[in-house]
Amino acid sequence: MSLIKQLWIAIILVAVFSLGGSLVVSTLAAKRYLEQQLTVKNLDNATSLALSLSQMDKDPVAVEMQIAAQFDAGHYRRILLTAPDGSEIAAREYSGADADVPGWFMRLIPIVTHPGVAQVQDGWRQFGTLTLESHSHYAYETLWRGTLQMLLWFAVGGLLTGLIGTLVIKLITRPLDRVVAQAEAIGGRRFITTPEPATREFRSVVRAMNALSERVRSMMAEESARLEQLRRQTQLDPLTGVFNREQFLKRLDAALEREDASAGGVLLILRVGHLVDLNRRLGRAGADALLAELAQRLRRHIGEHSDWTVGRLNGTDFALLAPAGDHPPALASAVALDLHGWLDSGGMHTLQALPVGACSYLAGEARGTVLARADGALAAAEQAGPRACEVATAAAPARLAQSEWRAALVQALAEDGVRLGHYPVVAASGALLHMEAPVRLRLDGEWRNAGYFMPWAARQDMTGAIDLAVLRSALAALAAGGEALGINLSPDTLGDAARRSELYSLLQQTPEQARRLWLELPAHGALRHAAEFRALCVALRPLGCRLGIDHVGADFERIAELHDMGLDYVKVDASIVRSIEADPGNQAILRGLCTLAHSIGLSVLASGVASEAERATLPALGIDGMTGPAIVWPTA
Amino acid sequence: MLPAPPLCLPLSETRPVPAALGRLLRGLALCLVVVAGFVPAEPKLDRMQQLARERYGNAAEETVADWRRMMAEAQEADEVERLSRVNAFFNRRIAFEDDIVVWKQPDYWATPLETMGRAAGDCEDFAIAKYMSLRLLGIPAEKLRLIYVRARIGGPQSTLSQAHMVVGYFATPGGEPLVLDNLIGDVRPAARRTDLVPVFSFNSEGLWVGGAATSSADPTARLSRWRDVLERMRNEGLQ
Repeated sequence: MSLIKQLWIAIILVAVFSLGGSLVVSTLAAKRYLEQQLTVKNLDNATSLALSLSQMDKDPVAVEMQIAAQFDAGHYRRILLTAPDGSEIAAREYSGADADVPGWFMRLIPIVTHPGVAQVQDGWRQFGTLTLESHSHYAYETLWRGTLQMLLWFAVGGLLTGLIGTLVIKLITRPLDRVVAQAEAIGGRRFITTPEPATREFRSVVRAMNALSERVRSMMAEESARLEQLRRQTQLDPLTGVFNREQFLKRLDAALEREDASAGGVLLILRVGHLVDLNRRLGRAGADALLAELAQRLRRHIGEHSDWTVGRLNGTDFALLAPAGDHPPALASAVALDLHGWLDSGGMHTLQALPVGACSYLAGEARGTVLARADGALAAAEQAGPRACEVATAAAPARLAQSEWRAALVQALAEDGVRLGHYPVVAASGALLHMEAPVRLRLDGEWRNAGYFMPWAARQDMTGAIDLAVLRSALAALAAGGEALGINLSPDTLGDAARRSELYSLLQQTPEQARRLWLELPAHGALRHAAEFRALCVALRPLGCRLGIDHVGADFERIAELHDMGLDYVKVDASIVRSIEADPGNQAILRGLCTLAHSIGLSVLASGVASEAERATLPALGIDGMTGPAIVWPTA
Repeated sequence: MLPAPPLCLPLSETRPVPAALGRLLRGLALCLVVVAGFVPAEPKLDRMQQLARERYGNAAEETVADWRRMMAEAQEADEVERLSRVNAFFNRRIAFEDDIVVWKQPDYWATPLETMGRAAGDCEDFAIAKYMSLRLLGIPAEKLRLIYVRARIGGPQSTLSQAHMVVGYFATPGGEPLVLDNLIGDVRPAARRTDLVPVFSFNSEGLWVGGAATSSADPTARLSRWRDVLERMRNEGLQ
């Protein structure tokens, strides 16, 4: 039973006992008082009438008159004078209307009075016995009215007590609601801090919870800083601070396997010409400093795209991988303009040649093809001149003109709807966690992977519509009794309030299915819309669906922000998983990430598990579940 | 309750009858209230005797013991004989004295124990003691009355009179009573008491039909000296 209900019961009990008790006590006291007064009046009046009768002549008419005068002028029910032998001498009895008091009330609270009895003398002889009884009806009326007034006050007092009680309960529970909300948030792995309430008891609870949240936050900050440091040591080129060749190629692999709005993009390669000559002229240290600064310059082009990557492919070649980059010439010329300008203005005449080559890539292409195309563009640039910039023609010409994509997507959604793929996500224990369900759309007469159309959909602002279609389809599949499903949401959906509210209402309408749904967003998108993502987590938590972020592992600088999100899982990017069995550095990173995530109750899933060796290695590092080409499930 | 100086004879001074009578009558109503529920039961007379020794000494205990002996003997006799024995016992053993002398109060209604303890009392103390004794001897309340009377003093022709109280015994409801008075030694019929003019009579008959139990919780009972006497009697073992 809730505290508020208990408080209410206490208030009602106190009100009933105090008001009801006072009603009973005052009614009974009034009844006793009236009884006493009536009885004393009976006795006193009987005595005084008997006295006056004793003193006067016992003429029958006079006696009768005396009694009649007393009766008519007074308030009596009965006056009776009997002779010593029991015969009646004179009698008067009231025969008027009864009091206006309900009969049940008179039966419930009877007013018991005793008649007054006195002796009448005639000289030495006994004349008779006088019995006198007053009317008790006015007493009943008084008692009845008093009780009614008390009941009225009872009602008014009860109402007042209720009103005051409501206010008091509101006052008490206002901070309590926040305390409970925080406790539930912490229970849901959202380690939030709240302002301390004024109530002393609540304050100490909130203080303790805040301290807990703060400890978690600082622990995550420390651990993620350590992870970031570890990542830099193992993944970065020590001289320039950008990814080394091995890690960059793994990032490229993962980028080519992506099936979301960031599938496809631009790969840009630039080459520092005449490095031997440069070494000779600047000295080794000078040449190294120049390379480091060049790498820093190049990294600035990442800007807010946290999933872009800069790598050093070999001694002279640097590369920029820009997933979702949609215009290779623009990017290439921007980079070339910036770097060449820097070379010219910064007195770096020593570096003569810095050709830039760029090409776009599509999801699903082979790494070698893409690299060869980029190299071709670079070679063409070298041919063209030391500061040339070349862009390779697209791998395949764009299937549709940009303007036609929108119509094609709308048509596909309307005519064929979406289909969901089924890729098992299996726990380390061997159980099936859920089926990952990437979206398929029928385009050009074929069911296409998300990588085929999602980049275009993103440019046409269609990802929200696709996400909702996927959600409806997934909920329908779940309603039909399928396995738990995992679907991807795009950052644009997160940023759009109308889409978000539609998402809530869809999930709220089907709580049964929502409990078996896993929703994930790319890490860079979730962190870009951190406030909206936090709100989404809070809103979806009661519905019971699981929330996670995808493509974790590019960097860990912002991972501490997850401490108050209330996530259920993180999914590690395929670039870290690739050849994990032979990469002690990435193993250490994964181990650290798993420890960190487990400490706040998150599961860690690995994506893109492509080989048996990877599958065998991952559970030992603390990975809770895996998906990828090497993961199969019999029923799938 | 009754006005001071006490209403009894013998008198040190006389008062006009109407004034004395008026005060008497005013007090009476309340007296009647308090006679409530007095029903003689088996008395705890041993306790009464013990109290007499503790409070008033051996002489008082002796008086109470004598009273008990008299009562035991009177139990054997008929009603008229009981009247004269009770009357004679109190008239002999108790000296008449004003309340102001005995109790240092203008008017005080003493219990039989107190009256016997001090061996002194005024007219209502005599009357109370006699009335109680007769009730203890089993004479029904309807035959007994405590009667306020106007007593003429100084002979048949005198115009001086005084308020006084006696006990009346009615052998038959319609007849004349026998009068137990502390002024004269023997019990006489009312017709022979031309010096007394009856004013008003009362007893405990017909009052508080509901019983003593309810009346004892009644705060109005404490307003009365008569009721006070009855309560004290009860505490002293006489009930």
